[in-house]
This record gives sequence, C-alpha cells and structure tokens, in this order.
Amino acid sequence: MAPSATQQVLLSPAELSYLHTSLSLTPTIRPDGRTPSQFRPLIAETDILPGTNGSARICFADGTEAIVGIKAEVEKSRPSYQDQNIGGDDDDEEDEDTRRSEKEAEQKKGLNEWVEMSVEIPGFRDDDPMPVFLAAMISEALLADGEFTRRLWINRRFHWKLYLDILLLSQPLSYPLPLLSLTTHLALLSTRLPKLKSEQDEDPLFDDDWEASLFLYPRTTETTSARPPVTLLVMAVKDNIIFDPCKEELAVAEVVLAVSIGERSHGVGGVGMDIDAGKSRDLRLLAVRTIDPPSRLTPPGVPNASNTATGGTAATTEQTSTQRETLDEEGVWQPPRGGAKRKLIAAMIKKVLEQGGVAEDVLEGLEAVELG
Amino acid sequence: MTSLKRSLASDPYASNISSKVYVRSTKSGKVQKIVRELYLRQDIPCSSRLCSSCLETAPRDASGAQAPFILSERPAGTKAYPQGHYLVPDTNALLNALDLFEQTSAFYDVIILQTVLEELRNRSLPLYNRLIGLTKSEEKRFYVFFNDFRLETYVIRDEGESINDRNDRAVRRAVKWYSEHLTQAVKAAGGSSKKIPAIVMLSDDKENLKKAKRDGIQACSLSDYVGGLENADQLLDMISVVKEGRELRDAKAAESLYQEYFSVSKMMTGVKNGTLHQGIFNVSPYNYLEGSIRVPAFDKSLLILGRENINRAVEGDVVVVEVLPKGQWKEPSTKIIEEETINKDENADAEDGEAVVTERERRALQEEVKKVHSKSSEGRPQPTARVVGVVKRNWRQYVGHVDESSVSQSVKQGRKQQTVFLIPMDKRIPKIRVRTRQAGEILGKRVLVTIDSWDRDSRYPVGHFVRSLGELETKGAETEALLLEYDVQYRPFPKAVLDCLPVEGHDWKVPESTEDPGWRGRRDLRGLQICSIDPIGCQDIDDALHARPLPNGNFEVGVHIADVSHFVKPNNAMDAEASIRGTTVYLVDKRIDMLPMLLGTDLCSLKPYVERYAFSAIWEITPNAEIVNSEFTKSVIKSREAFSYEQAQIRVDDASQQDKLTEAMRTLLMLSKKFKQKRMDAGALSLSSPEVRVETESETSDPIDIKTKKHLDTMSLVEEFMLLANTSVAAKIYEAFPQTAMLRRHGAPPKTNFEELGNQLKVKRGLELRTSSSKELADSLDGCVDPKEPFFNTLVRIMATRCMMSAEYFCSGTQAYPEFRHYGLASEIYTHFTSPIRRYADLVAHRQLAAAIDYEPLDASVRSKGKLEAVCKNINVRHRNAQQAGRASIEYYVGQALKGRIVEEEGFVMKVFSNGFVVFVPRFGIESLIRLRDLADPEPESTFDAENYVLKTSGSREVEAELFAKVVVRISDVKEESTGKRKVKLELVKTGTKL
Repeated sequence: MAPSATQQVLLSPAELSYLHTSLSLTPTIRPDGRTPSQFRPLIAETDILPGTNGSARICFADGTEAIVGIKAEVEKSRPSYQDQNIGGDDDDEEDEDTRRSEKEAEQKKGLNEWVEMSVEIPGFRDDDPMPVFLAAMISEALLADGEFTRRLWINRRFHWKLYLDILLLSQPLSYPLPLLSLTTHLALLSTRLPKLKSEQDEDPLFDDDWEASLFLYPRTTETTSARPPVTLLVMAVKDNIIFDPCKEELAVAEVVLAVSIGERSHGVGGVGMDIDAGKSRDLRLLAVRTIDPPSRLTPPGVPNASNTATGGTAATTEQTSTQRETLDEEGVWQPPRGGAKRKLIAAMIKKVLEQGGVAEDVLEGLEAVELG
Repeated sequence: MTSLKRSLASDPYASNISSKVYVRSTKSGKVQKIVRELYLRQDIPCSSRLCSSCLETAPRDASGAQAPFILSERPAGTKAYPQGHYLVPDTNALLNALDLFEQTSAFYDVIILQTVLEELRNRSLPLYNRLIGLTKSEEKRFYVFFNDFRLETYVIRDEGESINDRNDRAVRRAVKWYSEHLTQAVKAAGGSSKKIPAIVMLSDDKENLKKAKRDGIQACSLSDYVGGLENADQLLDMISVVKEGRELRDAKAAESLYQEYFSVSKMMTGVKNGTLHQGIFNVSPYNYLEGSIRVPAFDKSLLILGRENINRAVEGDVVVVEVLPKGQWKEPSTKIIEEETINKDENADAEDGEAVVTERERRALQEEVKKVHSKSSEGRPQPTARVVGVVKRNWRQYVGHVDESSVSQSVKQGRKQQTVFLIPMDKRIPKIRVRTRQAGEILGKRVLVTIDSWDRDSRYPVGHFVRSLGELETKGAETEALLLEYDVQYRPFPKAVLDCLPVEGHDWKVPESTEDPGWRGRRDLRGLQICSIDPIGCQDIDDALHARPLPNGNFEVGVHIADVSHFVKPNNAMDAEASIRGTTVYLVDKRIDMLPMLLGTDLCSLKPYVERYAFSAIWEITPNAEIVNSEFTKSVIKSREAFSYEQAQIRVDDASQQDKLTEAMRTLLMLSKKFKQKRMDAGALSLSSPEVRVETESETSDPIDIKTKKHLDTMSLVEEFMLLANTSVAAKIYEAFPQTAMLRRHGAPPKTNFEELGNQLKVKRGLELRTSSSKELADSLDGCVDPKEPFFNTLVRIMATRCMMSAEYFCSGTQAYPEFRHYGLASEIYTHFTSPIRRYADLVAHRQLAAAIDYEPLDASVRSKGKLEAVCKNINVRHRNAQQAGRASIEYYVGQALKGRIVEEEGFVMKVFSNGFVVFVPRFGIESLIRLRDLADPEPESTFDAENYVLKTSGSREVEAELFAKVVVRISDVKEESTGKRKVKLELVKTGTKL
C-alpha cells in the first residue's frame, strides 16, 4: 500500500466526524459542493519549455501546480541473445517481405529501462518514499502494457531513451498523484521525436527539420488513437464513491484507490468497431493501487461516556483501545480500520471505466487541450 | 493561471524576436533539439550608394567608423536592363558557375545573401572560400547582405516546406525588398525612376524562376543572362553542364554504368562497425586503373583495381570502401597502364553504347589476373576493395590540355558547341569531358578546368572550362600551370598586406640611438666578424655566422638569423598571408615569396655592410665540439661579407688568406666536421635525392645547361651550424612551452616500407639492409657499395629515401616525447628556426623563442594548441607542394634544355615491370619509362621474372633488363601526336656491362 498524503490535515475529531457524515449521505454532500464524480477545474497548457521534446503544465484550482518536461536521447540497445537465430533457414516459399515485417513487428519490443522518471516534490529528498512511490506508480501505468516502450524502438540496434522530469511546483496540498499523472499525460501527448531518415539497422540519421518531427502519440482525426495512461484518485466513504478528492475529503476517506487507465487505439484489438458507436473509447484498466488513507492517522474522537469533562469515566489505556474499536456512536469520529471490501473496489473500478464514466470525461477534457 | 510561455503579444519588440528550431545530430550520435532565438534588426544596411536612409542607421564599430557602402550608384547595364542592375545569385547559380563571377569583364555589383552563403558553405567549402575571397576584393563590389537577420527579409519556414524551398523564398523576398527599398531611396533623393537599378535574381532552378515571375521579381537563368553579355561564347563555357546534361540523359534513360553509392547513414554505420573503411583515395602513378587506400584496420594499404571498383573516385577524395572477399585479393600490378594509350581515339560526344570498362581495359586487367593466379601460392596478395561511397570530394581546378583527337575537324573553326576530352596534367586524374564552344581556340593550350559532377551513367567526369593559361610549352603557361597544380598562392600581395610594411620602405634603418625602443633588449653585436654563406645569387639571406677564440681556449660561435618576427607581428594581414603561403616556392626561373619583397630581400635579409636586426644563438664550444653553454638573444649585427659557397671554399682553401674572417671560417669548418662526425656516430642518415641545377641565360632565362649539384665543405659547414641552432632552439622552446612548442619530427619508417628494397638488394647483390634503427640503416647503407660502380651507393640511397616517411611540423602537445625524434638527423628534438624569411614555421619558432627568453610576451595565436595544429597542418601541405612544384619546374626545364637534342647517357634500371622498366639518368636527374613496345616494332615477346627482377625479351629484339643494371639510353624529346605534349623520351641503346 502506497504511503498516504503528505501533511496532516489539522482538523478536530468533531470536524472529521462532520465531514464523514456529510460525505456518507445520499446524495453526497461534498465540502465544496461538487457532485461525487465532478472534478475540480484545472488549467493546462503544453509546450511550455522550448528546449524539451515535449512539456506540459497543469494548475489545479486549489493552487497545486506541476510541470513535466520530456527529453529524448538516442541510445544503443543492449544486444539480446534470444532473437539471434530465429528462422535461420526456412525453406517455405513464403513471401519474403511479409515474413520480414512480421519478424520486425515481433522484434519491435521495448524494455522498461528505456524510460527514466524522476519526481520532484518541494520539501522532499529524492529518496524519500513519497516521490519514489509516486514515480513508481506513474511509470507502472505507463509501462504496464508494453505498448509505450515499443514506440521508442528505432531499430534493432538503437532506441530512444526518454527522460521524464516531473516537477511539482507548489506545496503538496492534496495527494499529488492525479495532478502529476495528468500533466505527464499531456506532456507525452505533446512529445515529438525527430523523424528517422535512415533505413533498417543503420546508425540512425534524423531529419534536421523540427517541423518534420513526429508525435510520439500520433493523432488522427478520424479514429481515436492510442493515448498515454492517466491515473485517477478515487475514494470511498461508506458506499459513496467520490472522485478527485480534496485534502479535507481525503482526511476522512475509508478507501483510497489509484486507478490507472489507458486507451487502446481502435483497430488494434479489432473490437468495438460499431458503426454508430462514433467515438466510443476502448478503455483498459492498467493498474490499481490502494493508498493508505490519511484518515487512519487522525486522532479519534472521545465519546461522552469516557470523557470526564462530560461526566463520563475515563477508561484505562487498555480499555480505550478495545472500547474504541467496538464503539459505534454517531457523531464521534472513528479513524477507519481494515481494508476495502472487494465489492466496493469492483464498484469503484466500474464507475471509472463504464461508458460515459469518469475516465471518458477526463480523457475528453484533456483532449481539448490544445497542443503546441 | 498566467501562461509561462513567452507571450509575444505583450512585448513591444515581439516582431524583432523569432526563433529557429532544428534537430542537430552530433558526431557521437546524439540527437538534440536546438532552439535558437533570432533577434531581427532593421539597421543592416543595403550598402547601395544610392541609399541615404541606410547610411544614417547603419551600425558603427567601436571607433565610430562605418563600413563603406559597396554597391555602385551607377551599376553597369545590359541590353535587358539598360538602367543598370544589381545581381542576386541563388545557391545553385553560384555552385554551377562561380568561375563566371570571378570574371573581370562582367559580374559587378553582386549581392550575396546570407542564406545563399550559408547554403554554399554546406555544399562546397572550396567554392565558399573562393566566394569569400571575392567579397573581400574591393573592385568586384560583392556585398554580403545578412537577410536572415533583417526584419523585413526574414522568412519563417512554412509547415511542410522543404528547407530549399524556404531558402529560395528567402532569396525572392530579399530581391523584392531590395527593389522596393531602392525605389524608395531613389525617389526620396529626388532621382528619376530611370535611375533605379534593376535587382536581378540569377537562378538555374526552373521552379524558382517560375515563382519569381509570379511574384513579379526580375529573374533570369544564368545562361539567359550570360547570353546577353558581350563575350557570351566564352562565358557560356564556364557554366557547369550538370543540369543540361542530366536532362538530356534522362530523356534517353541511359543505363547506369557504375554502382550507386551507399546512403550516408549506411556508410557511417559500416565505418563504425568496421565492415567498411574510410580513407583517402590515391591512384598509382604508373597505373591509372589501380588505386590504393590506407585504412587503420590493415597494415598494408587496400588495393582498388579497375574502373568499376574505383567507382568514380578521383585522386584525393575521401572514400568509403568495402573489402572484397579473400579470393579476390591480388598483388599490386607490375604492369604500366596509361590511360592515354589504352583509351585514345575515343569520341567524347558518344554517349550511348559505352561500357564502363572498355574491351582494351578489360584485357589489360585480365592479363594481370592470370599472372596473379599462376603464382598465388607463394605471392603476398594484398587485400582489395571496392569504393561504395564518397564522403568528401576533394576536387580542385585541374590543369590540362584538350585531347586533339576528340575535337572533330569540321568544327575546329566554328562556334558550335561540342564535347571534348581534357587530359589533365596529373596522370592520376581521369579524362574530363568538357562542353565548349571554343574547341578550336583552346586546342594546343594549357587550360584550367573544374570537375562538376560524375554521374552513374557517365564513364568520365563532366567538367567545365575555366580559362586558358596560354600556349603549351610557353614558359608563362607552363609555370602558371605548375603553380596552379601544386596550389601555390602566386597572386601579388594584396594591399592590406603591403600596408603592414614599415612606412620607410627601403630607407628603413636600424635606429642610430640605442635609446630607441627598437633597441630594447637587443645586444649590440655590430663589432663581431660576421659573414654569410649562401648559394650564388641568393637575395634573401636568412643566416650569418661568426666564430672567435676565447681566452680559455674554447670558441664562441654565433648563428645570427634574420629577425623577421620584428617586422611581421602576429595576427595582422601580413602574418595571415604568410601563414597561408607557408613557404617560399623556388622554381627554376621564379621565386614565389612568402613575405613581400621589401622584407625578404632587403629589410630582413642579412645583407653585408649594413646593420640589421637579428636573432642570435651564441654558444661556447670546446675545440672537441662539446657545447659548454648556449644563449639566445635579439641583437643588432653588421655582416662583413656575403660569400657564395664557392667563394667561401676558395678563401678557406687559400692558405695565404690570414684575415680574421677567413680564420673564423676555418674554425667553423673544423668544428662543423666534428659535429658531423658526432651526428653520424649517433646514426644520422645521409640520404640522397637526385639534384640537378638548371643554368639559365640571365636575360631570357632559357635553359642552357644542366649540372648536377656539387657538394662543397662549406655547404656542410653552414648545414651543421643550422642544425645545431635548430636543435638548441627546439630544446629551449620545448622547455618553455611543453604543450605548444612548434617542432619538427621525422617518424621512423615502418619496416614494411623497406621490405621491397631489402629484398631487391638481397636478390640482386646479396647485400643486407638492416632497418631496425637509423644507425643500423645508416651503416648498412654505407655497406651498399659496388666497387665497380661508384654511383650504385647513391642509387640505393635515392631509393631508400623514397621509402622514408616525410618529416612534418607538429605542435609539441600533440605527441609524446619519444615521438619527437627526427629519424633522419638522429636528433631527439628538432625544429626549424633558421629560415624565417622563407618558412612560416621558423617565424613561429622565433616568436616562441622570443617569449622563452622574456623578450616579449607570447601572443595568443602561438599559445593555442588548436590554432598551432591548424598552422602545422597547412604548412606541412604547403611545404610538400612547394617541393613538388620545384621538382616539376626542374623537370620541365630539363625537358626544354634537351629540346631538339639527342644525347646518349648512362642510366640505371630502378624498377622493373612486366611490360617495361624505369631508367634513372643521374646526369639530368630524370627518370623515365621504357615500354616493351618502345624497344622494337613489333613488340617483342617477354618473360618477366618477378622474383629476380629480370625482364627478358625475345623475338624482334633481345634484351635483358635487370634491376640496378647500368644501361645506355638515348635521350630525345618527342611531341606525342595524340596529346600534343612534349616529353623526354628514353630509348634503350644497350644494356650495359653488368655491374
């Protein structure tokens, strides 16, 4: 389980209890008045760093802000031994060309080490668990299906190495994972690589015109094309599923999930080619991580029964801990205990992926960000 | 959120800022995105004298001076542009016909756009340098306009637009701007519209011309433009034929004769992997179908045999080759194949039906293959290779003459354009196909041509005619040809250089008052008995000597060198010119100076009876030639006498001469002999190269006689002390500047170089050549004597010299100390110090030595390793070229001296081929080939014994030619029918007495 957020929210048990209660109502009442699946407004722009291959910046309304810059470098591939004697002497009268292209497609495999990610968060050292876990989660989503590193393949001897520098500019007010992930997503969308001029396994030679360079994720207008993954933060209070939680909401969350979704380009899987589906998306779940909710570390409320100020009797230390776990009194804050229920997790994932669900909204919103 | 992007809208200067984004691939394989900001300006002047508005705004330099405006207010007009015109050529116009722009009859007031200049630099560096030269010359009025930095003419590349299209558009935009700008300028000055010069774009690109027409710009193709000039016929020849020819051929869809070159990336990959090799392509001087290339991966150089494998490479090109399978490895040929004899009588106009390899060529090569097969068991085949691509063409301008047989008789008079073959003087360069309208006129003349291209479907390269140098065999033409061929800068010194000379001119004197700044740090050596010894008629006296006994029985010896560095200050125009020229070139009748005459033969020259500045090296030497101490100082000297070697020798030998000067010379002579002995003991080589002197009539400089140089003791006297000075200076400057000292080294030759000679000596004479060290070599060369033939030793030395590496200048930081060794002189460290008037390296050494003795601070240019390396590289090339030019000049004069004479002379066989042999005639220093077919008619049968170096003929004439054998030859001169070239011809009279 990934470590929880950054700063303790300084709320009293009574406030926590109030928040918790209002969030568990139906319909949910969120402190900022959003609906459960509504996202906070954000402002985004791409290509802000002219020296990089791709870059983006996103500002959330709560003041958190991140910049991502992506640099690409040509690197020599390590020789691999496995594919040296594939199909040495096939006597089949197979078409040479198709065989070669098949073979090429097969060999066009990327390695996870071709992507290097660094996350920088003010106030943290780069070996603190927080940035390390964040980087791991973002790269996990990116590398999950192997499709991404394949894009970095140049030829059998060379590949691109991508350096993603993710920088949180503001204090980490809420859990910064969705912000960083969305910014990375945009930066990858705007990333361009020089156009290759050489053929086959020669030392790569590139077109010197930057205008001719190709997008890492080429966009076509007709069909939806593949997109980099995004990681969303979903939390639940009782059975209410809430998206894009702010830090106060996280303080009372019972379950927090980081859900990474990707989008397959149409035609690859060969499914979902309904004519009337129009722009229906082929979403895929890439990774799910539970996150230790910060609510667990909040101080519990003290029921009147055990508060001497209100005439109760203070329990001994041993008693408190046992009493607290069994207590179920309305209005007294109890930090959540235990893991998430499977059913709940399934419901959360479904809510993300379903048609017309949150993921589609988010991707559509990001698509609207102008590139370049 | 405010955007972090640079917002241009809010910036008042936004329109002045633009950025350029491109991808740069570095040598190490990195690929970088580069973003450059461009700051556009509006004060870049149009430089037309018609314009007053630019004059006001044009930027001034630190001292407030403004660059003068170049373009004339009344430019020349033509029929099409009677009001006068400025020309704006685009890149391909310059690429195709730069020679035109160098003409003095037309092409004035030319605007060179920055776009065009940069594109030209990327396409061809030599052309770029020539163009820069043109822009520097004031009379041609070429102006470089930085259009990419001027706001109005800057063009942003459109999406999907190729860089060439963008550049063309930039040219059109600049032309348009110029015409609008000048119209405005003339109107503002109240001039009539008739006064506005036309701005004419010159282009050979049809698309560009079409677009120009659409945009309403005056434009015209090169040939149309030249057609409207006065001497159109002559000028039209200078337009490169590339385009025309290609269109013609496209129509015919001719098949390709040569294999296509690999793509650049494929070559790079291959070279990096080691599957392909890169090197400089050299052609064998004896066989034009055999090239060789030295690559680091092989000890022996790779052979490239036959036209197909040579694949359009020309001598000097940097090529990439692929090594052929071992089964095809061969020995270097033992046969002489000359292009003119095999492929004569070809028709230059015939395009179709030609194969790459003519039948005759094929036969010539096949015979060779047969021979190789027969003895491949024990032979040492050399790896062969095939050219797969050219990295860099090193084409220059070539001197040659038109092949008479390729000119059709009917049009000799006419003006019709026809294609002729040009035979370059350098045998290693293939024939060049040239289209010309002046075939009749240039026949029998030395002409200058350039190669434009060599397409896959053409057997010969295509070039164009540049200019005629004059009749064949006239002194002027032949000398100029030599200078061009060896790339010697022979133009008169430009004004900027002459401006650097002292204003007093010939009246310059050493200041009388010793308080003068010129005397600072100089020692007054005017009282010493100094004299100079040089060849007869020497005007640029670099060095002078003195010697006097000291009270303790030792001697004080001084070598005084002309203080050139006093007059040539670093980094001025004169220094730049000298560093480009690198050396003075001596031809038989002409000297091409490195420094202007005033310095070389007067102010610097250590002439007798006058006071001169000098740089002196002074030693205390014991009578046994041990050096006690040495010191260096700037000085003022007064030479007492300038001797020639002969005069000095006579004076020394004459016992009645007892004056101080003669005594000093005797002392020097005595010491020099001891020095020489020491040097020999250390393993110095005494090598030999054929040296002859041509005596010319003083008035006409027609050759009268040829003499081999005689060696006098006084020569080695001077030589020994110069060596001593050079070595001491080398040690001193290396001590002071271990990283940047200008030194000279002579690498030890690799053993393989001597293999052939050693084997020849062993087989023919039973002599052994030991080459493990220079001492060994010197000793074994001493042993190579034939009691009956005194010349044999010299012959072996000449041949051994040819096996050596050439000495070279280098910067001390680039080599490890053991590599400093001078092999030939057996000296640990060496430099050139003693001839600063005629060698640039010496000048650098002077500056460094002056700094080493704290006379003056070291200039930055002689402190930077990079700059020194560049200087060394240049002077090494210049030095070699100067030597070759000198030799070629002697060769030509020897030929002229023999003209019309028939002489019988002794000679020696130097090299034996399967169909001929080379004879060296010591009397004239010439070597020439005798082919079998020259021996008798019909050509005699022959057997060639390669192991024993014997060629036996039978049948029509029986001769046995053996290596080292003495022969008698008849020397005459012939004018070859097909080529119109006069040559020394040797005929075998008899194979002499066996040695």
